[in-house]
Amino acid sequence: MADLVRTGEERLSRIRTEERAPREFLVFSLAGELYGVELTRIREILSPPPLTPVPRAPQDVLGVCSVRGLLVTVIDLRRRLKLEQPETTRRARILLTRMDGGEVLGLYVDEVHQVVRFPHTEIEVAANVLGGDVSEHVLGIARPGDILIILLDLASIVGT
Amino acid sequence: MTDISDKAREEFFSEAQEIVENLSRNLLALDAAEQSGTSDPSLINEAFRAVHTLKGLAGLFGATKVGALSHRLEDVLDDVRLGRQQLTAEVLDVLFASVDVYGQILAGEKEGSDDPIPAVGDLMGRLEQFGVQAGPASSPADEYDLDPGMLAVLTEYEEHRLRTNIEQGLRLYRLRVQFDLATIDKALEEIKDRAKRHGEIITYLPTGETTSAETIELDLLMASNDDLATLIGALGGDNLVIDEIPRQRASLGPATAPPSATRGTEVPRPASDRALSVAVPPAVPSEQPDVSLKAVTQTVRVDIRRLDHLMNIVGELAIIRNALARLSERLRGEGQRQLSSEVHRLHRSFDRRLTDMQNGILEVRMVPLGQVFDRLARVVRQISRDADKNIRLVITGAETEIDKLIVEELSDPLMHMIRNAIDHGIEPAEQREEVGKPAAGTIALNAFQKGNHVMVEIEDDGRGIDEERLVERAQTVGLLSSDEARELSRGERIGLIFLPGMTTKSEASDLSGRGVGMDVVRTNISKLGGVIDVHSEFGIGTKMAITLPITLAIVSSLLVRVGEYTFAIPVSSVSEAIVFDGTGVRLVDGREVMTLRGASLPLCRLDRLLNIGHETTSRRQFVVVAALGSRRIGIVVDHLFGQQDIIIKPLGKSLENVRGFAGATELGDQRVGLVLDAGALIDEVLAAATPGSDVDREGAWLI
Amino acid sequence: MPRVLVVEDSVSMRAFVRSALEGDDPDLGEIDVVEASSGFDALRLLPRGPYHLVITDINMPDINGLELVQFIRQSERHRSIPIVLISTRSSERDRDRGLTLGANAYLAKPFTPEMLREEAARQLAAGPQRTEPHD
Repeated sequence: MADLVRTGEERLSRIRTEERAPREFLVFSLAGELYGVELTRIREILSPPPLTPVPRAPQDVLGVCSVRGLLVTVIDLRRRLKLEQPETTRRARILLTRMDGGEVLGLYVDEVHQVVRFPHTEIEVAANVLGGDVSEHVLGIARPGDILIILLDLASIVGT
Repeated sequence: MTDISDKAREEFFSEAQEIVENLSRNLLALDAAEQSGTSDPSLINEAFRAVHTLKGLAGLFGATKVGALSHRLEDVLDDVRLGRQQLTAEVLDVLFASVDVYGQILAGEKEGSDDPIPAVGDLMGRLEQFGVQAGPASSPADEYDLDPGMLAVLTEYEEHRLRTNIEQGLRLYRLRVQFDLATIDKALEEIKDRAKRHGEIITYLPTGETTSAETIELDLLMASNDDLATLIGALGGDNLVIDEIPRQRASLGPATAPPSATRGTEVPRPASDRALSVAVPPAVPSEQPDVSLKAVTQTVRVDIRRLDHLMNIVGELAIIRNALARLSERLRGEGQRQLSSEVHRLHRSFDRRLTDMQNGILEVRMVPLGQVFDRLARVVRQISRDADKNIRLVITGAETEIDKLIVEELSDPLMHMIRNAIDHGIEPAEQREEVGKPAAGTIALNAFQKGNHVMVEIEDDGRGIDEERLVERAQTVGLLSSDEARELSRGERIGLIFLPGMTTKSEASDLSGRGVGMDVVRTNISKLGGVIDVHSEFGIGTKMAITLPITLAIVSSLLVRVGEYTFAIPVSSVSEAIVFDGTGVRLVDGREVMTLRGASLPLCRLDRLLNIGHETTSRRQFVVVAALGSRRIGIVVDHLFGQQDIIIKPLGKSLENVRGFAGATELGDQRVGLVLDAGALIDEVLAAATPGSDVDREGAWLI
Repeated sequence: MPRVLVVEDSVSMRAFVRSALEGDDPDLGEIDVVEASSGFDALRLLPRGPYHLVITDINMPDINGLELVQFIRQSERHRSIPIVLISTRSSERDRDRGLTLGANAYLAKPFTPEMLREEAARQLAAGPQRTEPHD
């Protein structure tokens, strides 16, 4: 537990030293909970096009698809974080993010909500154990109003 | 809603009235246009927007009847403007009727009366007939030569207008205009009026470049049938610059412009300023009959990106060509013999022309390997100096041509192998002299064409590969048991260098004469559709031979179905395909094998190998014989779709550990099919066989 | 006193928004509402700021809401103004684009005056935003 707190704090302090201004997060649902990732990492949001599964690929890879001619590998964020996978609805979306090497990955989420801004003072360190594998990838927690939003570190989830 | 001010409610009724009046005028104009056979998309859009706005407002202000009617009308008008529904006389009738009904509803709501209005019910009934039709799938606006920044800010409707205009063959222009913010409304109206006579303005995008706080610059995206000169004449002005957006212009750069670099690879430019040359025979026949036309050629420089674009188009044309073939079959199946053979003839001639065009473009894409070799030569000089070794580099076949894409992907693996050869292959001068070799080591780079392939070889006269140490190492690392080690053929032992984890940098020199990362090299070459073979004599030298297909861009492939999956197998790896009914299969050493013309052919059941298990519905299956070098396997599939030209796109890094696939391709309709890596499958099937068995010997290493 | 720019081509829509923002609300306080009837109007009014919030419709003729969002986000002076998009549910693609281009939130029509006030209060409280260049 102490480790989680330390890594969370490390991440947060890294962010805090980088700049003091509020950061923006794109908020979406996974398995009924609200999560957020930094908006600057998201290139595009789309409705899932036809997906082709890739045999013998890791479990959390939903498949590949074509976006305007670009081949994109789509990862089921719920599976990667070892959460439940409720049935897909029309509101499911794929978030496109570019990795360091240039490859574009798609992240499958249940529903996209909106962009929220948090000054760093509003982001708490997550000391509690969260569901599934989430804890390893958490940047912090925000509580605007009565809502709980778990902020994820995209770099750690997709391996930069 | 109680907390809406009275003023706001007043505004609502007043605006609603105005909207309905405008709608009425709009419908009259639409009616007139339809009667005279013209159609003005902006009129339909205006009608849609009117009703759409009414719906939105009604929702906010709680005017439910207005809202419900507007909702239904909006659906119908949306279908019309997006091309899913025809604007028939019927539709117009209903629209006109709605103007009256709106009037009644608004009067009622203003008085606060809740009485039902029968006319509404009738109208809604009539609207029911216009069901939402399944329109053409709205594919995203791709393949245009438009600034992606502009594409990204088009609304759905604007994108539809853009697509429609392009489909009708209109040209696209960008009008860059500076406006004074103070007078922009008038100035804009003026431009709109003038422009309307020549085409349609799709959107207005602020460029963000302003010279002062009081001016603004806009980019107007316009579609028009007129040519640039006409437009400039009609619309040009001091503050207006018109550019055509190049989509149809096949322009070639001026002769003095250097070729553009692509993908960050540095294209070496020796003094002779090598360019991508295209031989263009002159179109005008010579006046002197005995001068051969072929003797006169000209070269032009071409931007590689334009070629990529052309290649993509050819790829899509190929898909259309295949659709023609399927159409012909369908027609035949429906008894339309005459039509069927006509379509078939079309297909055949289209196919011939397309192949010609494809070959033509491919020729343009070919670059001499010398480009890469020159770069390697410089690297060799550098590394040998660093390693303090005297190296002689001999290059032959630099003029051998290969696809530009392959050349780019090749430079890293080649660099890697040459570095290995210098660092670990060539012995230090004293050692060489001891065994009677010249003090200077020789590395030879050879390239030559062999049928449909290009061979690239790296040879050195260094210490060669020490097989014994290799085998030892493999056992130490746990890759081989001692039994297995004993059974290895010579070729297999040398092949051990391709296994990951075999060497570390520090051990490389004394261990194998080859360093790390050969597994990566082989994967990369395999991704290009090539194979690498190693020949070596301990003490004498080593030769790495790479076999590559000549082009990467479009690959003729066999499309097959296994269960629910569609796969593509490049034809260059397929030697034949036969009907398979499951008989004649025997088990040898635990593997399934069948006999083909007297020889055993190990079988590969893809559904089992890839874990995509399914129930075989057809008793009749097929076996596709995949062959590389002298190794073969038979891949069992459920259905053969036939041959198709495809563009292979590599799978991303995130999938690099998944074996068996050379990439993926678009199958049309946005679906993606995986491309099988025949080499990897052959490896997998044959490696699983116990070493030394019958099956294994079928797939012996090349040596 | 915070100043809000409302960009919307429908007169009553603008009146509705104004009425909602000027209502009695302890969270929102006093607001100065400025109306723009088109994307062009907005461009004209922006230099006369400062504005603390922009509320804009997406589907407007000529300069549409998406283009306005991009313009604001690319402008040195105005890029940190929070933006709320008013959109209709029928184009989720437009909504997604708007978010990607840098809008902070969207409200789907129809919405109540409360919902608008809440969103405005939220954005105003969070203050000017920091944007980094998108890929």
